[in-house]
Parts: sequence; C-alpha cells; structure tokens
Amino acid sequence: MRPENYQAVPLGDSNEYEIFIGPNHPGIEGNYALKLILDGDTVVKGTTDAGYLHRGFEKLMEGRLWIQNLAIVPRICVPDPAPMEVSYSLAVEEIMGIDAPIRAQWIRVLQLELSRIAAHLFTFGGHAATTGMYTPMYWGVADRDLVLDLFEDFTGGRVYSIYNIPGGVRRELPEGFLEKLSHLLDYLESRQNDYDNLLFTNQIFVQRAKGVGVLSKEDALEYGVTGPNLRACGLAFDVRRDDPYLIYDQLEFDIPTQQKGDAWSRILVRRDELFQSIHILRQVIAKLPSIKGPIRTAIPNPLSWNVPAGEAYARVESSKGELAYYVVSDGGDKPYRVHVRGPSSMHAVQTLEFLAKGARIEDVAQIMFSLDACPPEVDR
Amino acid sequence: MKKIDYRDKGSILNPLKNLQFFARKPITEKLEPRPASASYRGFHINDMDLCIGCSSCQKICDNAAITMVEVPSIKEDAAKGIRNLRPAIDYGRCCWCALCVDICPTSAIEMTREYVHTCDGDDTDSYFVFPSENGIHDLKFAKGWTKTEDSDLLDRIRRPMGEMKPEARINNFDEVVDGFTMEMAVEEASRCVDCGLCEDACPAHMHAPNYIRSIYEGNLEQAVEWMYETNPFSHVCGRVCTHICEDACSLGRVDENGVKNSQPIAIRWLKRFAMDNVSKATIKHIAQKGKTHIKSGKSVAVIGAGPAGLTAAFDLAKKGHRVTVYEALPKAGGMTRYGIPNYRLPEDRLDQDIEVITSVGVKINYNVRVGTDISMQQIHQENDAVILAIGLHNGRSTRISGSDNKAVVKAVDLLRMIPQGDKFIAPKSAVVIGGGNVAMDIARSMARLQMKQHNKVNVVVSALEALGNSFLADDEEVSESLEEGITILDSRGPKQCVISKGRLTGLETVNVLSIFDNKGRFSPKYDNSDLQYHPAEMVIEAIGQSADITLLGKDLIEELDWDRGRIKINDNGSTSVEWLWSAGDMVKGPDVINAVADGHRVANDIDSYLTR
Amino acid sequence: MKNTNKEGHSKSYKKLQTKKTLEEILDIAISFEKTARDFYTALIPNVSKNIRYLVEELAEEEQQHFDLFTNLKENSEVKKQLVKKINTPVEDHKFSDFVKLVDLGDNPDDQTILVYALAREDAAMKQYRDLAENAPKGELKDTFSFLAIEEAEHKLELEKKYYEIIHSGGPGM
Repeated sequence: MRPENYQAVPLGDSNEYEIFIGPNHPGIEGNYALKLILDGDTVVKGTTDAGYLHRGFEKLMEGRLWIQNLAIVPRICVPDPAPMEVSYSLAVEEIMGIDAPIRAQWIRVLQLELSRIAAHLFTFGGHAATTGMYTPMYWGVADRDLVLDLFEDFTGGRVYSIYNIPGGVRRELPEGFLEKLSHLLDYLESRQNDYDNLLFTNQIFVQRAKGVGVLSKEDALEYGVTGPNLRACGLAFDVRRDDPYLIYDQLEFDIPTQQKGDAWSRILVRRDELFQSIHILRQVIAKLPSIKGPIRTAIPNPLSWNVPAGEAYARVESSKGELAYYVVSDGGDKPYRVHVRGPSSMHAVQTLEFLAKGARIEDVAQIMFSLDACPPEVDR
Repeated sequence: MKKIDYRDKGSILNPLKNLQFFARKPITEKLEPRPASASYRGFHINDMDLCIGCSSCQKICDNAAITMVEVPSIKEDAAKGIRNLRPAIDYGRCCWCALCVDICPTSAIEMTREYVHTCDGDDTDSYFVFPSENGIHDLKFAKGWTKTEDSDLLDRIRRPMGEMKPEARINNFDEVVDGFTMEMAVEEASRCVDCGLCEDACPAHMHAPNYIRSIYEGNLEQAVEWMYETNPFSHVCGRVCTHICEDACSLGRVDENGVKNSQPIAIRWLKRFAMDNVSKATIKHIAQKGKTHIKSGKSVAVIGAGPAGLTAAFDLAKKGHRVTVYEALPKAGGMTRYGIPNYRLPEDRLDQDIEVITSVGVKINYNVRVGTDISMQQIHQENDAVILAIGLHNGRSTRISGSDNKAVVKAVDLLRMIPQGDKFIAPKSAVVIGGGNVAMDIARSMARLQMKQHNKVNVVVSALEALGNSFLADDEEVSESLEEGITILDSRGPKQCVISKGRLTGLETVNVLSIFDNKGRFSPKYDNSDLQYHPAEMVIEAIGQSADITLLGKDLIEELDWDRGRIKINDNGSTSVEWLWSAGDMVKGPDVINAVADGHRVANDIDSYLTR
Repeated sequence: MKNTNKEGHSKSYKKLQTKKTLEEILDIAISFEKTARDFYTALIPNVSKNIRYLVEELAEEEQQHFDLFTNLKENSEVKKQLVKKINTPVEDHKFSDFVKLVDLGDNPDDQTILVYALAREDAAMKQYRDLAENAPKGELKDTFSFLAIEEAEHKLELEKKYYEIIHSGGPGM
C-alpha cells in the first residue's frame, strides 16, 4: 500500500522512469538489487545496489585465529564453497612454505570439481527460471542435492564442507566413497538427454537466450570478466590450465568455449563444463586408489600457530571464474589482512551495469543470471 | 557428451519428450528423518568422564558458541588435572565446524548423526545445550564426526630430549640430559593449549602456561620472570622436579576410550631451557623485583638451608626482614645437594639458585648444627620467628636380621658423602634395598664409582614393587639405570643380610606375591618358599627417611603438638608453638616443589605475624 | 622399663598350655589383652612425644579387644560352651619367639614398637588358630576361629602401618 505522504520522484521532462528490482525478487539470485531507469521497455541505465549481505568477512578474519577462518571462508560463496576453502588453504600453505600431500591434492580436486557440478546445476535452474521455465530449476536443485549427499559423506557437512585445512584435508574419504561417486556420475550423465530436451535444445529457451547480454571479448577483458563468462566470449582462459594448481596439470580436460558472448553462449559453456568436470572426476576415481600416503601435512597446534610473516596470492578456478585469496601475515596468530578476489564482484556490478544498458526489461533478469554472480561473494 | 552447436535453434517439440516423466514413478519422498552420513557433523555429545574441563573447545570455537559451565557435582582433582567445568553449546552461534572435536585433548567431545532440533514459541532456551553422552534429545544417536588421527589438531608427541649414551656417562657424574635447543624448545612450547591445569596441579602454582608462552615467543627473560614469581629454585626444579604439572597436562591423557598416544608438554625441560639460557646477572636482577628497601626491624631464623627454608628466607628477605639461615652442612641445598647426584642436578646449577637467593639479602651460617653448636633457645631468643625445615636426613633401616652389620649402610648417608668429596671406596658389588628414586640415585652413583674405580658395574636393586606397575621410581630412572648396567630385581622383599664370620656376604630375598591390599594400602605378601641369594660386599638400604628431631630438645618436643609422627602444623605452616613454623619434607614428605610451596606459605604467614 | 610385662606374658603362655576349659582359656585371652593394654599404657610416657600416637593407638586397640573378649565371655551362647574341655597346642615356636622380643629398651623408636606389636599379634593369632584346629566343631571352634581372625586383622592393620611409616617416608606419602 502506498504511504499517504508518498510522492513520486519527478524525472523531469523525459519519458524515463525508475524501477527497483530486488533484493528479494525471484529473478535475483540472492540478496542484491538493481535500480533501473527505463525508457519504455528499454533500460537507459542500470545501477546495482549491493550490500544487503555484507558481513565484513575480510575484516572478521583479521580477528580470528588462522584455523578459525576455515569456518568462515565457505560462507563467502554458498553455492560453490569448495574453492574458497582450497584457495585460503593454498595461500596459507604458500606463506608457510608447506605443501599438502599428493593424496590430499587429489582429494581437493575431487571436492572442487564436485562443487563445480553442484554450482552449475544450480545455475541451470536459475537461468531457466528467469525465462519463466521452472522445471529445470526443480531438476537442477534435486540433482544438486544428490551431490550434496556425497559432500555430507566425505566432508561431514552438506553445504559448508569445512573440509580443507592448511596442509591438506581433515579426514580420509569414507569406505566405498569412490563407487558412490562413480554411480552419481553415471546418473548425471544419464540425465544429459533430459536436460538437453528440456532446456538446451528447447527452442523457446534457445531463442530467449540468444543475442541477449552480448559481451565482446574486449569488453570482457576490460571489465575483468573471468570464468565461463569470459570463455563464452571466445577466450579459452582457465586458471586450471593456464596457471595450474594442485594436480590439475596431470589431468586431461577441455576448456569449452563459445564465441558470441551472449547468455546462450554462457549457459552452453557451463553445460559443457559440467561434463568436463565429470570427465575429470572419472580420472580422479581411476587414479586416487593408487595414491597412498598421508592426507595432511602437520601444522602446529592451532592455538599457538603463528604463520610466518609474508604474503601470498592463491588463485583457483571456481564455477564463477577466477577466485583468489590474497593473504598477508605479519607473523602473528591471525591474518594481518585477507582480501578475496571474488569473480562475482566484476560480473555482478560493472559488467551487469554495462550489459543492462540498452537491454529490454524482460531480459535484465536473464542477463543477471547468465553472468552467474554470487551476491554473498560480492558483498563478503 | 553430445555437443550442442551454438547455431542449434532447438526444437519446440523437444521439451515434450520429457512428458515421459509422467509415466515414471514420482520421486517425491515422505519427509522423515533420514540417517545422516557416518561422519556427519550433527549435535554434540560429551563424555563427562573423559572431559577434563580444559576449555580447549571454547578457545578454538569460531563463534564463541561454547561456554564452560561449572558442574558442582563433578569432583575437581587438581593433581590429576580434572576441573569441574564442562562445555555448554549455544546452537544459535554454533557453525558445526567440529574444530572443537578435532582439538579436544581427550577426545571427550564428539558429534552425532542427529541433526533435527526444533522448538515451539518461547522455548528458544532449548538451543542452549549442555551436551552429555546421550546427545541433545537423550536419544543416543550413533556417532558422526569423531576425531581421527588425521583430523587431530594437536601436536601429540614430545620433542625428544637427547642424552648422553650409557657408555659415555657411566664413569662420570656429568649431567645425563642434553637439554633443548632454542628450536626444540619453541616447538615443544608450541604444543601447549594453555589450559592451566599444570598451574592448578603445581604445589607452588608456578605460572607454567605463561612461561611456556614466553618461551614460545622467544622471550626467555620474561619466562624466567614468570618462574621467579613462584619459584627461586627454578634451576633445581628445571632438572629434578617431580613434575606433577606434567601428570596433570591435558596433552598427557591417554585412555582406552579416548586418545591412544599423547605426551604431556615437557614443562620441566622447558623450565630448564629458559633458566640455562638467561645469564646469571639477569636472573639476579629479575629476582630483586618486588624487594622492598624498607627494613622491618624484625628477624627470622631458618633452620635448614634446603628448598623449603631458603624459599621462605628468599621471600622474607624481600619483604625487608633480617633472615639468618643455619645449615649444619658445609653447603646449602639440603637434599637437592646431598641427596641428588650430580648427573641429575649439576652442583653449579644449584649453586646458582643459592647465589640468587643470597643476593636478595639472605645470610647463611654454614657448619652450624642447631642443638650442638647453638641451642634452640638461643635462636628463639635472638629472633622474632623461627622456621624449622630440616628435611628427612635419617635413613630408615629394614632391621632385618644382619642389618646391624657395618657393611649394611643407608642410602642417604652414602649420598651425602659422595658430593662432599669424601674418599669413598666403592664396594665391588652392592645390593640396594628399595625401589624409589633414592634407591636409583644411590644405585646409579654406586655404578659410576664402581666403573671409575673397578671398571665394572655390579649393582643389584631389590625392590618390593613390580616394574611397570606400581614401581616408585620414575620410568626414565629405571630405563637409564638398566642402560647403565644395573640389575633391577622387582617384586623382591628383603629377608636377611647374610653374615658369615662377622662379614657381610650378601642379601637373601623372597618373592613378593602382591603389594597392595584390596583398598590400595601398602601391604606386601611374601612367598617365603621362593628364596634368592644375592652376593654383595655392601647392602644399601634405601627404603625410607625420617627427620632427626633431637635438635629440638626434650622440652620443645613435649611442648609441640604432633600429628602421626610429624610436627603438627596448620594450613599456614605454623606449629602449636607461637614462634615456630615448620616446612618442607619433614612435615610434608619428600618433594622439592612441595618444599618450595611450603616455603612461600610459611613466609607469608610469618610476614603477616611480624607485621600484624 | 619394667620387666613385669615380660614375666606376665611368659606366665600367660604357660597358663594357656595347661588350662583346659573354654572359660579358663577366655580368661587367659582377656588377661593377655589386658596385660598388653597395660604394657602399652605404661609405655606411653616413656616414648618421645612425636611417636606417642603409635603407642596410644596400640593401647586403644588392645582395650577394644579386651572389651570384645569380655563381652564374648558374657555371651550366653558361649557360656554354654565354656565348660567344654579341649586340647591345647603342644608347642608353639612363634609364641616363644615373640616372648624373647619383649625388651624394648629405653625410649624405643617407632620401628621398635611396631616390630614388637607385630610379633605379639602374630603369636596371638597363631595361638588361637591352633586352638581352633584342636577344638571340636561347633560354637567352641567358631569362637577360637573368631579370636584368630580378630588377631589376624589386627596384625594386618599393623603391617600396613609399618610399611607406611618405615618404607615410604611416613603416613600419607
């Protein structure tokens, strides 16, 4: 109901008017908002309005022991928490000058790729929903749940794994886990046709997605776009291949790309990537049993654990793009500074504002979702 | 994987293919509790018997979700390192990271596979849970996330202390242990979880967590400052303390249901390290801290320059009283000098402790035996208060047949002779009766002298207690003795010293069937049929000690109240005679750190008596 | 120290050998405890004050035994048995051994007192045990067994005290 003292904001002589999307609009993938100035159905200017989720994690981390931050980092991106844990751990390991044992590195890859699958399944549904198709969302979330079951199995938690620790991972995979994983991958592959029929070869969706939110390679680079969004513009850049971490250099996988840089290209890249992740996981299943040894390099008693003074920038390829932790230690028992280079800030703020300009109102939600930004990671 | 071309326009009919799903069985499932995975991080359970109240869970908790709650029904036991604090968890704050589980030194706190808790309306208090063995709803769910060897966050194993090889140490009295290097000390100190159970357990309440922290931070001077707040015998205690603190250490708990292998922090060796690596001048300077420059005009006499007497003297001198110590022997230290061999406590270290103590203004009169050279009455008349701290210097005898032979001697008497430099010719073979640390001290000293003089060790220790079970001596004493070629015959009771034509030829022992009664009281049972003979030129009795109270004189003995053979003292160490206090071994039994604690106690009481 | 105690014990022993009825034997047992109690009571002022507690406890324990045996004699069940004749043990080395230890010397120390008390309890225990063996089944036998057990328990307590004081530095260590 309109308050009695409400006065519409006059916009002068133009035909432009302002609408506000979010922060709880169904088309918004989490709590952030968009202020749009429209001329008819066309967006004249879009301004993102973040901050609803701001928890000050980076600052919080300066006040907590090195190990306590393990429980914070996965919260920075709820749909894809594994890269957060791994990246933080890698950065701390680099400052300490230690490496996780090989077996732990393989297990980390397993966790990272499973997390990517879960994140992409989530995004398919979300993206489709912005065009009014809700079934892919139901399917995506239901299948993601099967992945979460596995997370629960080996990390002890469904969403917040809190499974990595500087030096390795916290516990060994449970008995029979790789068989379970193998079954899940079989199942996900068997679902390919269903998803294709429902979404990827569905003319209604294809036509809605094509040509929407077109981003050129140059603009993408200009705006700091990374990950599937960048690869959808034809640039095959992937941290896993171009700056390999863990044991990615021992794995075989393609970097799926598309050329057009529109919403359709982006979802196609994600679709292909999901199957590349399955491919990687198959290699992990084949190789992991032969890799014996510890899963953790000992760190000192966490209550008196001083990380030597130094700094490290550890980047990984998350489902959203290049994710990095820049960690600085002054030699104390807590980080001096932690900065998260989250891919979503670039995607959700400047890129979205750029793409929204000139878009039609009905496409704004789709553009937003096709960039697959993660608002909690924008705000941190 | 089927490739989809960007140019693929898709078909409007494709989605219809999924109509086949109408023919499939719906996957909607009834919503009911599903068993969580085997390592699920569900709600907490806490084994109240394993939990020691160390608060490590509280310290590591990310979100301050854990509050340590006092449970009065749980009995505290400082010496065993048990507090009556137990964790309570606020599930409004908990983030289920299970770091509390992974750090718990005793594996008491764990998580179950239970994960549903809801409440109605005002029942929000139900999110604040005091976990017991049965979990949040008393439903006894299966365990979920428990600590594994991989997930254990603590550094369980001690940095090994190097020591001289048996061959290298057997013909001399050089100190056996090497001591830590800076790196080892810092690493060892880093293992501490700062629970403070050690401080509670220590009779003198040494600030062990603080000095361990200082050592960890590389600030050895500060560590020594912490030590001198409670212990002027830090060199001595850094080497020969009975380290009750380490028995209480939360990292030392092993239990068949909990942690299998864990070693307490080497608190004693850390103390040794800090003391050895701070210069004497600095230590003297530290010891002066808190010394008043105002003279009280009162004077106190201390009889016996052992740890108890000198600790009291140190405190009282710093408080401005005139303190005179009377020592019957030529040097100070009491049993630490005349009972503990040099290979455990080098004399120069003891000398340094004494030097620091005298530097605050304590005057020691050596070679003055009270009762002979000066009377008790005279001391009383010359002083406002007197402390009696003469220790236990009389050896007990078994008084078995033949024990009155002159070749049957008491360990304390022998030990006193060795550092005094007496020309002592070691017997070629000796049997020691006793199984405590004194027995080991004399056996190992004897072995060294034998090696020096006869180039061959022949020492047998005959102890009532069974090795590895109730044996009184410390484990390392036993293992080092064995390394040095000493024979330990455990579960043997002395029967008689065999005398032939007035000369001792050996000791006869019988087998000990059991050593304690069903109530745990010392009550050995012998099997007289199992007789053994150990030939020896000397039998050394190291069974027990008593105080020589003859110096008090008949009247004072009569005037004093006694408590089962010992002078009766109140909690502050004061006797029933107004001007007399008593402290140390003679009233508390043999133990250095107890003597130090006693010294402080008595000094405090005397100070308030003198300044009342 | 008065030698009367020594005499008293020797006499008691001889008496015990010749008496034949339970009443007579209980009388001896009572006087045995009484002698011991008086012995310890007389000893109290002769020992140093610091170990006086030990002798006081011994006297107290003997008093308790004295009371116990006196009550036993008054017990009607026992009274019925009192006239029964029994065989007394022929020889008891232990008892004789103990008798030799009686002289404690002037100002005895705690260990001397304990050694004496131990030997005394040991002798009494064995004496009653032998008597129990020789007595016919029934109340009489039970009574001697009871006396033997009483003395045995007393002796065990003393042994524990001995080890606590002599072998481990003192009580509470």
